[in-house]
Amino acid sequence: MRRDEGQPPAGLFFKHFGGKMRKIRNSQLDLDYETDQKGIEADEDMMRSEVIRIKTPISGEGGGKKQGHHPGRNMNGDEGQAGDGVKLKTQVFLKGVGRAVATSSGLVLTAVLSMAVGLLTPGLLNVLNPELQAAGNSGNLSRDRSSQAGKPGVVVIKAGRILTMAGPPIEQGLIIVEGEKIKAVGKDLPIPEGAEIIDEPSAWVLPGLIDANSTLGLSDERGQSENEELSEPNVAQLEVLDGLNPFDRRIKQARSSGITAALVCPGRRSVIGGQAAVIRLKGQTVEEMKLLSPAGVKFSIGEGPKQAFGSKGRLPSTRMGNIYVIRQALLEAREYAGRWADYNKNLAAAKRGKKNAADIKPPSRDLRLEPLARVVTGELPALIECYRMDDISGAIRLVDEFKLKAVFIGCAEGYLLAEEISRRAIPVIVGPFGVGPKRTETEDVEISNAARLYKAGVKIALESEAEYGLAALEELPLIAALAVRGGLPEEEALKAITINAAEIIGVSQRIGSLEAGKDADLVIFSGHPLDYRTVVKKVMIAGLMGI
Amino acid sequence: MSDKYRWLKKIGGALARTGSKSTLPEPSGGKSALRIFCLGLTSFFLISLLLFSVRDAVAGGPAANDKVLALKGARILTSAGQNYDSGTIVIKSGKILEISENPRIPSGAEVIDLAGCLITPGLIDAHSHLGLGPSGGVTEDNEMSDPVTPQLRIIDSIHPEGVAPDKNQFRQAVAEGVTAVVVRPGSGNVIGGQSAVLKLRGGTVDNMCILFPADMKMALGRKGAYAQKGQMPMTKMGTAYLVRQAMLEAADYRTALEKYENEKKKNPATTIPPARDLKKEAMRLVLDRQIPVHIHVSQADDIMTAVRLAKEFGFSKLSLAHAEEGYKVAAELAREKVTVVVGPRMIVYDDDNRPVNLADYLHRHGVQICIMTDADVVQQPFLRSQAAIAVKYGLEAEEALRAITINPARLMGLEKSIGSLEPGKDADLVVWSGDLFDVREEALRVFIDGVEVYQSPRIAGGLNK
Repeated sequence: MRRDEGQPPAGLFFKHFGGKMRKIRNSQLDLDYETDQKGIEADEDMMRSEVIRIKTPISGEGGGKKQGHHPGRNMNGDEGQAGDGVKLKTQVFLKGVGRAVATSSGLVLTAVLSMAVGLLTPGLLNVLNPELQAAGNSGNLSRDRSSQAGKPGVVVIKAGRILTMAGPPIEQGLIIVEGEKIKAVGKDLPIPEGAEIIDEPSAWVLPGLIDANSTLGLSDERGQSENEELSEPNVAQLEVLDGLNPFDRRIKQARSSGITAALVCPGRRSVIGGQAAVIRLKGQTVEEMKLLSPAGVKFSIGEGPKQAFGSKGRLPSTRMGNIYVIRQALLEAREYAGRWADYNKNLAAAKRGKKNAADIKPPSRDLRLEPLARVVTGELPALIECYRMDDISGAIRLVDEFKLKAVFIGCAEGYLLAEEISRRAIPVIVGPFGVGPKRTETEDVEISNAARLYKAGVKIALESEAEYGLAALEELPLIAALAVRGGLPEEEALKAITINAAEIIGVSQRIGSLEAGKDADLVIFSGHPLDYRTVVKKVMIAGLMGI
Repeated sequence: MSDKYRWLKKIGGALARTGSKSTLPEPSGGKSALRIFCLGLTSFFLISLLLFSVRDAVAGGPAANDKVLALKGARILTSAGQNYDSGTIVIKSGKILEISENPRIPSGAEVIDLAGCLITPGLIDAHSHLGLGPSGGVTEDNEMSDPVTPQLRIIDSIHPEGVAPDKNQFRQAVAEGVTAVVVRPGSGNVIGGQSAVLKLRGGTVDNMCILFPADMKMALGRKGAYAQKGQMPMTKMGTAYLVRQAMLEAADYRTALEKYENEKKKNPATTIPPARDLKKEAMRLVLDRQIPVHIHVSQADDIMTAVRLAKEFGFSKLSLAHAEEGYKVAAELAREKVTVVVGPRMIVYDDDNRPVNLADYLHRHGVQICIMTDADVVQQPFLRSQAAIAVKYGLEAEEALRAITINPARLMGLEKSIGSLEPGKDADLVVWSGDLFDVREEALRVFIDGVEVYQSPRIAGGLNK
């Protein structure tokens, strides 16, 4: 098959996906039957939305084992007790060995599997474009030849134009990648000996795009959403990583449009939906994907919670009820934080006074209050989803009252309160632009929203809006182009899907710009990223090149 | 009765009440002064209200007059084969009089210099639910009391400006160059009702409507809402059966009417006509090949069921909406000359999660395509970005333009009046600030029937490009 020509054997991802594919077909039959059992509510939805809903029939067992993400974390935010350092190093070492073994056995397996997939692939299927077709087997990231031996390979990307997002564009520049990291970015850099060279003289290279608000990974094997735990209005104890499916088909789809990382938020309709995470769009386990967790606690104000609970006659059925639930939770969290602060103070005092520290009993732990306590102490950001002007005002009142470190999500009417938001230096993840179906609270969205917030001095990021419209398509460049149409300068629009997004969601140490020391996450575009004719040629995540 | 209600005349009076004739009672004489005053006041309010809304709603604007307009020096994509790097369009009485590189401009014509701009035909959406309410909310396009409702007329549900939260839908659509839309019943029912073609100018549905009934909307596949109630259809075979049954009942109805006509000739005094049945009358339009059929489908098996039904009953024309798995049966669709209206999902993923650019794939395999928004699944203004997505992933730009201009016009049988820029056709056109598929560019001026229905603030502010 043409698609396999000149391709290095794909890495671990491919192996896994190759195995998955066959199962997808088998479970296709069940899918629709289940869809039909959803009830009238779902079905009404179907009349319009059925066509855009991505069905995700991936067999269920591949979710990856989850080790505790932060075992034994206490109020101090310590990741563990003394001695963990040693343990950690051992784990890392073992992991390395495991990987090496897996890789070498993987090579044989993948070779066989790629042949099999090649044979089974109907040749008539249209892959988006020839370049994309050549870029990767089934569109998975594959390790470059030079790095197959196990030692970190060196890859040099020669590009027509590099937008580092950390300085002026570099014409005909070089990016040197070593292992998972960027070693250097510049114009006339010496090319390391033995490096693999990717020559793209007409291409534009950008940092991997970041979808600053998404539900990627929250579709289960049947395409059903995993992000709404609506049994209680406050489910702050939930961690979105526990619901994340690395084999959600949308992840690869998003990656192929240049998105390499995303903030995944739980609970669009909960009042307090749980703990969000930043993931990179690569990996078979949540651990591999995790960049930051918790990245914040998710709050919602407005129609979402009101309708989800109000329709059942439960609190909140009003906006005041909505805000009350949050205030009550934050007050309790403040007390909880106080109890732990007292405990730690007493413990320290006891140790200093050589008293028996065992006499000082820790307060009982509460999984729901723990993350909220980290919010009220300013350790974690409050990610507050709000759209309408009144809800944004409500969110601002909470920020003021509890001195929250907040990020606003949505803010469809943010342009009406741009000064207020700006004065408090609250960053905004702006969306939607009204491409998809409107809700009562996004009725008055303006295409100039992002531009007006920016002009008022608010730091902004953009989201893909796959949830709202674009027919489930992850096309951040199109969203950025819409923002430009609304008056946002092009450079700011590009920042809003790269470095600004990274800063707002708390991962700018790792990703968001092309600088030495950062993760090698980048996208090679065929031209100007905001031009509709431009396609993604290649995507690199953590040094792995593919799509 | 205008020509646009083309089939209504044939099927009798009861269906034919949608004309533009006023239903207000004529004022009678002998009123008291107070009554006259009140009436005058009311009329004043009504008239000013009317003027206000006509001026404000996009739909408004003066009727096309005989003033000659020349749009000069723009790049022109006509959707009719010949394009111009720098051409001029002469418009008179709402029609395109001439289009060429250097036409003779009649004296007294208003000349607008559009150098550097692009002119395309007004965009046409072949499948939309404009004015029918927000999806996910209370919509007016699915009458869920019965799975078979061919008697329903979409014109009776359309709000001519859009209802909250989509309250300015029509105006926003025009501002993005959409000039005509096929508004369709939803897909909740097996047979949903009769579609209409609207031009987005006129203020009322009756003024906007240029063709009704345009076609019969059906939907194959599962219909979960009825399955939930334990009511047919609970299966795909049930769905197909309901279509068949409706067609057969219409045939029986036709036979009964024919029999009556024959009897009446023999015994005009005593023959009693069969009771009228709006449902069967509507299906007769399909049976008699007076209107085509448009079917919502997703999966390949449903697509082939649609083709089977079309052959069995000799549909005059079959078009499909969505057809996400159309790539699996592209050869059949090409052979049977089925038009596929692609969208709102432009990129579909095959069983191996690989992307397929559906519009491009079908086009390359000889299938006639249109591109839709399915508004408000994708909002009506974003018709051109739907096409842009197809172009981005491989569809030729000119075909993408055809898919939102001449192809929908042809699908609805309106290619003689709209869909391309040619002499004699309606002057429905858009002046763009640049490439229409680049969302960073905007519509500067929009004309429908030669009347300027939208002007960008950039123009209004004197910043003519």
